Amino acid sequence: MTLARLTRRVLIATAGTALAAGTLMSVGMSAAQAQAPAQPLEKATVGVLALSSSGPIFIAKAKGYFEKEGLDVDLKMFTSAQQVPVAVTSGDADFGVTGLTAGFYNLASKGAVTIIAAQSRDEPGFPLSGYVATKAAYEAGLTKPADLKGKRIAITTVGSTFHYMIGILGQKYGFTVKDVTMVPLQDVPKMVAAFKGGQVDAILAPSTVSRQLAADGAGTIIGWAGDETPWQLGALFTAPKTIKDRRPLVEKFIRAYKTALAEYHAAFNGKDASGALVKGPGYDELLTIIADATKQKPEIVAGGLPYVDPQARLLVDDVVNQVKFWQSEGQVDKTLDPKSVMDLSFIGQ
Amino acid sequence: MPDSLPVNPLVNGVSAQPVRFRGGGFTVKRHPWAALAAFAALLAVWEGASRLGLASPLFLPPPSAVGRALAGMVTDGSLWLNLKASLGRIAVGWVLGTLGGMLVGFAMGIFSTARAVGVPLVSAFFPIPKIALLPLFILWFGIGEPSKFATIGFGVFFPTVIATCSAIDSVPRNLIRMAQSFGLPWRSILRSIVLPGALPGILAGFRITASIALILVVAAEMIGAEYGIGAFVLMAGNLMQTDTLLAGVLVLSLMGLAIGTVLSLLERRLLNWR
Amino acid sequence: MRLLVSDLTHRYDDLTVLDGIDLALAEGEILAVIGPSGCGKSTLLGIAGGIVAPTAGSIRVEGEVPDGCLNPITFIFQDFALLPWRTVEDNVALVLEHHPLPAAERRERIEAGLRGMGLWEFRKALPKQLSGGMRQRVGIARALAVRPAMLLLDEPLSALDAQTRELLMDDFLELWRREKTTALYVTHNLDEALRLADRVCVLSRRPGRIREMVTIEEPRERRQEPSAQAHLAAVRERLWHLMKAEAQMADREIARA
Repeated sequence: MTLARLTRRVLIATAGTALAAGTLMSVGMSAAQAQAPAQPLEKATVGVLALSSSGPIFIAKAKGYFEKEGLDVDLKMFTSAQQVPVAVTSGDADFGVTGLTAGFYNLASKGAVTIIAAQSRDEPGFPLSGYVATKAAYEAGLTKPADLKGKRIAITTVGSTFHYMIGILGQKYGFTVKDVTMVPLQDVPKMVAAFKGGQVDAILAPSTVSRQLAADGAGTIIGWAGDETPWQLGALFTAPKTIKDRRPLVEKFIRAYKTALAEYHAAFNGKDASGALVKGPGYDELLTIIADATKQKPEIVAGGLPYVDPQARLLVDDVVNQVKFWQSEGQVDKTLDPKSVMDLSFIGQ
Repeated sequence: MPDSLPVNPLVNGVSAQPVRFRGGGFTVKRHPWAALAAFAALLAVWEGASRLGLASPLFLPPPSAVGRALAGMVTDGSLWLNLKASLGRIAVGWVLGTLGGMLVGFAMGIFSTARAVGVPLVSAFFPIPKIALLPLFILWFGIGEPSKFATIGFGVFFPTVIATCSAIDSVPRNLIRMAQSFGLPWRSILRSIVLPGALPGILAGFRITASIALILVVAAEMIGAEYGIGAFVLMAGNLMQTDTLLAGVLVLSLMGLAIGTVLSLLERRLLNWR
Repeated sequence: MRLLVSDLTHRYDDLTVLDGIDLALAEGEILAVIGPSGCGKSTLLGIAGGIVAPTAGSIRVEGEVPDGCLNPITFIFQDFALLPWRTVEDNVALVLEHHPLPAAERRERIEAGLRGMGLWEFRKALPKQLSGGMRQRVGIARALAVRPAMLLLDEPLSALDAQTRELLMDDFLELWRREKTTALYVTHNLDEALRLADRVCVLSRRPGRIREMVTIEEPRERRQEPSAQAHLAAVRERLWHLMKAEAQMADREIARA
């Protein structure tokens, strides 16, 4: 998940308040329930990160789309992309939405999780992850993403979404990850420390961090991953067992999810003729929902809202490319069939 | 004595009985094979649970899978590469932290001014989790080896100070008095009495700091390490390769065992007078 | 060597342990100091040996030191004070290390000390391998290696059992017959004082003052003989009478404190 590392600190700091918000939400839910006819709602849980990329889930929950489908959906907040598929594997959550990492595909290869719909994408015009060059490196000629070949780049971890983004950037400009020195530093504070200390030439970081570094004068944003290499950043997934045993539940969940997705898309993803983003219907209302759920200021949220497909369609070719990339890196089992990690029957793709 | 009382049987020898043994128990007996057998049984149960499908190989990889992962590390040479990197970091970091810690610990143990200054400082800095300082270490020492040495060194430094200082406190005062009464100069007292007298405490401190170094090598290798057992374990965790993860953890604990054995040998050599 | 103590007072914070002690030790004399526990016996010894600084008063020595004396005033300790990590011979060697001696003399001093105490065959042993009596013999050998002019003995036999004590008293007698070293012998054991001392100084309970100075008329060599027993019994009676009163009062004070 692109933004996972960025908000981890914020999340930890506000864990208490987030919990309180969750309680309030459930109180609201029970009030709505009381008015509804005495038909019991089916319980389901979904593991999410408190990031704007999880926006459609927050919207579906806040606007009661899950209830309309007869579901009582409980949100489980996690602090890193890795924990969500693990929670689905262990049965702590029925569904999960996060970024796709090598760790995710390793769980998929063991038959623990299956992709059932798309989450956000990196798309041109939607700045999510920035390539930032240090001042020195920029002055020495690192001015565009293609120049990253042969440079030292700070990332979070091996097998992370950042790792893949460097991989596809290389695919575009004709180099491999072997041609760059990836420096895994585990989390954003360490990445920023290494960047500011001049230990690396560049950093691949979430938009807020990128913009902060540029504003500090520590570096220059030389491009956005969405503009360079659009790809399927995240997905909605569940356990194969849930598909088999509780198919109607999955169908209901996806219907509600798609309603919210379309609403999100209409509000945030519209562009005018010049290609600039324009506010769609319900913009302010939905922004408030996401800002509340992520415990961030609306203007911060507005600056990093990712693109989603209104029909939840997956970039299948990219997912296949991801699996092949991880396999070539030796981080995912070579015997995994890329097609086997997804079941797109629910979104009719 | 009234006649009605029974006559002591031992006196007339009619019904002398052997004294019943009632000691026994409450002593430690050595069962050298018990630990091994228990360990083997545990492994067998673990493997069996996996084979019978009682435990998912993802949640609890069977020993055979861990063994395969370990064998893979041996054959592709990555074990040696990672081990070499980590052992180098542990060695340098530990030696730096230990030398510094012993120097400060000795100063604090011997000079009351140094102690007055040092004790509150050590109390203030010791509990800081070194992992929280990693971003700062990156700024100070970069992301190369120095920051990794620093992480381990800092972790080792404070316990060494405390161990050394209290080891000096535990040197019997009567021996120092004796040396003074024979007119031994200050330096001789330090070399011949304080240093050897503090050795048991210092060696006990080594045992703790060696484990700390082993724990901190994982933290240190969070800082952009390409090789190292810690980096290997972190990567396996990130990739959800649980069998590889356990193989790395196994290597870490074997390292701990090896270091502990070396220290035991050292103690037996140096402290044979106890 | 003679020892002169005049108007010696010592306080630990508010606690006065020695009060106005005047003492003179003649050349070759053995003075036993007895008194109830806590009366400042060991403090007196520490002050005499220069390892405790007195609060007031003076302590001086006069006279010749023997040839080759490296440490005129030398202690023998109750707990032996041996370095457990050094062998017997290295424990003796310790007190010679800081003196510039020819290697041969160094060896000779160590050997003489060890042989004199019957320790030669145990020279490679560690203290933990020796009995208490043997350990104290190492302590004595160490003291002899520096050829002292005066011995300060701080309850040297108190940590030993009765038999060993007897054997070591014989060793001391033999030593003094040979060396004629002046000695201040602190003990709480009347038998030791009666066997070894020329005079016995009885200290009062705290603050320690000199209660009485008792001279034992019988020469040391004859004290085992039947003819000496009457005199020794009288001295013992007198010493015990003095000690008992002080000890009882000291005990009560401790109970009240």
